[in-house]
Amino acid sequence: MNNFGVIEIASTTTKSTPGWAYVPDTGPTLPAALQPTNRKRAARNQPALSLSDLSAREETRIRKELEALDRDNPRDLSIPIPPKPGGSGRAQNKHTSNVRKILQSQKTFANHLDDYQAMLALAETNPAAAAAMNAALAKPSTPTTATAKSASPAPTQSPSAAGGSKRSAAAAKRAAAKEKQEQEKERKRPAKQQPPKPDPSPSTQDSPAPPAQPPVQNDGATAADVEMPDAPPATGTNTSTTTTTTTPPATAPQPQPQPQTYPRESLILPPYQKPPPRPHTGDNDPLLVSYVPPFPTDDELRALMTAPPLSYLEARAKWGDGGGEEARYPPRTFCAVCGYWGRVKCMRCGTRCCALDCLTLHGEECVGRFGG
Amino acid sequence: MVTNRKFRSAGPPPPATTLVLDNGADTIKAGFVAGGKASEPRIIPNCIARDRHKKLYVGSELERCRDFGEIAFRRPVEKGFIVNWEAQREIWDREFFDDTAPQECDPSETRLILAEQPNSLPALQTHCDQMVFEEFGFASYYRGIGPSFNAYQDVQAVFRTPREPDTPVEIPAEVILLIDSGYSHTTVTPILQGRPLHQAIRRLDVGGKLLTNYLTRLLSIRHFDMRNETYIVNEMKEAVCYVSLDFKGDLEKSWKGTRGERREDYVNGAGVAKDYVLPDSHTRFHGIVREYEPGASSRARKGAVVSTEDVLTLRNERFAVPELLFNPSDIGMRQPGLADLVMQSLSVLPIGLWPGLLANIVVVGGNAKLDNFIQRLQMELLERVPDECVVRVARPADPITSTWQGAANFAMHEHVEQLAVTKREYEEYGAGWVARKFAAGLGVSS
Repeated sequence: MNNFGVIEIASTTTKSTPGWAYVPDTGPTLPAALQPTNRKRAARNQPALSLSDLSAREETRIRKELEALDRDNPRDLSIPIPPKPGGSGRAQNKHTSNVRKILQSQKTFANHLDDYQAMLALAETNPAAAAAMNAALAKPSTPTTATAKSASPAPTQSPSAAGGSKRSAAAAKRAAAKEKQEQEKERKRPAKQQPPKPDPSPSTQDSPAPPAQPPVQNDGATAADVEMPDAPPATGTNTSTTTTTTTPPATAPQPQPQPQTYPRESLILPPYQKPPPRPHTGDNDPLLVSYVPPFPTDDELRALMTAPPLSYLEARAKWGDGGGEEARYPPRTFCAVCGYWGRVKCMRCGTRCCALDCLTLHGEECVGRFGG
Repeated sequence: MVTNRKFRSAGPPPPATTLVLDNGADTIKAGFVAGGKASEPRIIPNCIARDRHKKLYVGSELERCRDFGEIAFRRPVEKGFIVNWEAQREIWDREFFDDTAPQECDPSETRLILAEQPNSLPALQTHCDQMVFEEFGFASYYRGIGPSFNAYQDVQAVFRTPREPDTPVEIPAEVILLIDSGYSHTTVTPILQGRPLHQAIRRLDVGGKLLTNYLTRLLSIRHFDMRNETYIVNEMKEAVCYVSLDFKGDLEKSWKGTRGERREDYVNGAGVAKDYVLPDSHTRFHGIVREYEPGASSRARKGAVVSTEDVLTLRNERFAVPELLFNPSDIGMRQPGLADLVMQSLSVLPIGLWPGLLANIVVVGGNAKLDNFIQRLQMELLERVPDECVVRVARPADPITSTWQGAANFAMHEHVEQLAVTKREYEEYGAGWVARKFAAGLGVSS
């Protein structure tokens, strides 16, 4: 389609003003539509707001409302910090450069989040620049200690600063790679995963490092994602012992009454030690047999417990991953006036109302498309 | 001391006192741990407030404020994370470091245990570490995620698990699923042996603030303009809102009916309607909840009774507001409800862990105080999990200070010696090293 080199940028704002507007050219239009033969009542014969137009407006409205609900104060206001009552307090000129920067920063959380996303994107396209940015962020504390460190007799300590920046670059890279993996995984679930990128800074491990994370963290995370198959209980003796699961387990997850039938040498979650509950006549009843899923191995547990944190955006729950319950029901609608079920729609603006009473009340202040 | 030697051969002994801070978006929970004993935590409003006479209140000075009409807040914590350090430092200074501070301490001889929300941004974490060491100069410091501190308390007592009285209390608890529903958001965190399973932490962006703002909007549409009265609306929310166990039925009871219809349930309130008397800022500074009086409003309208008080009759606002936690799509939010959030969190874990997690669900945070919250969550979860699973949901006696209590127990636990970082280490290895050490957490020894 020839669009004369104009690229439409998807925007979430729509302006509904009389006059003219840019409209997306979505396909070949009939010349008849452009130049109607019947000019009579042209305004009335125009199609109403299209569905996409309405839904875009609706989306914008909802987004604005949610933003309004997320505010601390109804209005923008700046409350200054009051002066100290005694006039004393700590001296103001003793701040280090880092502290001064932090205190003077007027960034909001949204700014920080944007920065973070930009950094991730940068790490994907230009790792060197991201490393430099990262190093600037996590600068070692004070210049005095830095010089002291470089002059210190212990040579093993010196690469820690450089190693820090390198490692943080690697961490940024890993995060980016991980996010990519996540996206890929969402797109094609059964496809095989990319192997995680090798850590490019293994040589910096000689500096005093925190408890090292296992390099297989990505593998571990994806392995944990795999759903456990619904295997039948391993042995016949096992099934006969699991009828007591209706009693609330005291401490261990689904404690097995007879640990010896449930081979588990987990050191992370030690097996149930207490004596099993008294046998019951119904224990061998095939109708009462319940299924106990296989317990994860120590390796799986370790991978789960040492996996790195997700980023802020990854941790946000979204519709449609797992759970699945939310996809089954359409969203409920409520009366905009009284809060009962929204059973009818205003013909002009699409707002939901419960019944005539509320609809007439709403109609008094309903402003349609062109104020009509 | 022995453990200390083991991990830090040349270091000085750890500081005798520990300042435990749960720095929430709405309130700070703060207290000291010294000599193996924890003091009672103090709850400090984490804000700089300005009332309608332009008087400013910092932190706990808000107690002196009497008239909360049109009060505005500046909060240093956004979305659960400390963002504005200028304001946060002022509040901390006045609460902990000034000569006249109510909880005065000397940072250079104190260890700081700071609870933060999970999934923070690295830049904010770095800022926090830099402020703690370079500005306040704490001798030793640990920053850990708030939910996992909750494992360091007697969780089975919360569930009232039957057990022999002399059973040793396991600290940290073996397995819990912690739901933290606070001011900014609600998070689900599965925790094994005090270590959070990071891959399964999920967040729902519905918190107390959103609920209060939503109630404000509903009231402003239906009754009075309350948009500048956030504090008063929040009090109202805490006093009258409840989680409905039968949303459909309650909604039916609170409907006025079609035109001309006078429904019995609507006229006599049916147990749902409540009257709320607004503060008049002369004689009364806090609102009062009253039982609904069927004829009162019509009598007042006829002028039979000259009433000097503003009364709001709350009907479906009482339960439609907390309903957002379970159905965020009611206001067009594209996020799953709380029960689905738990299921999403579980879906990335092996099924073998489900029974243990589902049987030990602890709910903390201010929203846990809403009536029927626990019952509703349990009800919804039972619909979603396999039949064999036992679902137990409980909240601690005080859900607001629960994280603080856990963090105080953590400060007395041996784990703190493995995790805390001294000022010397920070100066030697830098902020990046500290951040990595905190991110790595306890690890798994065996």
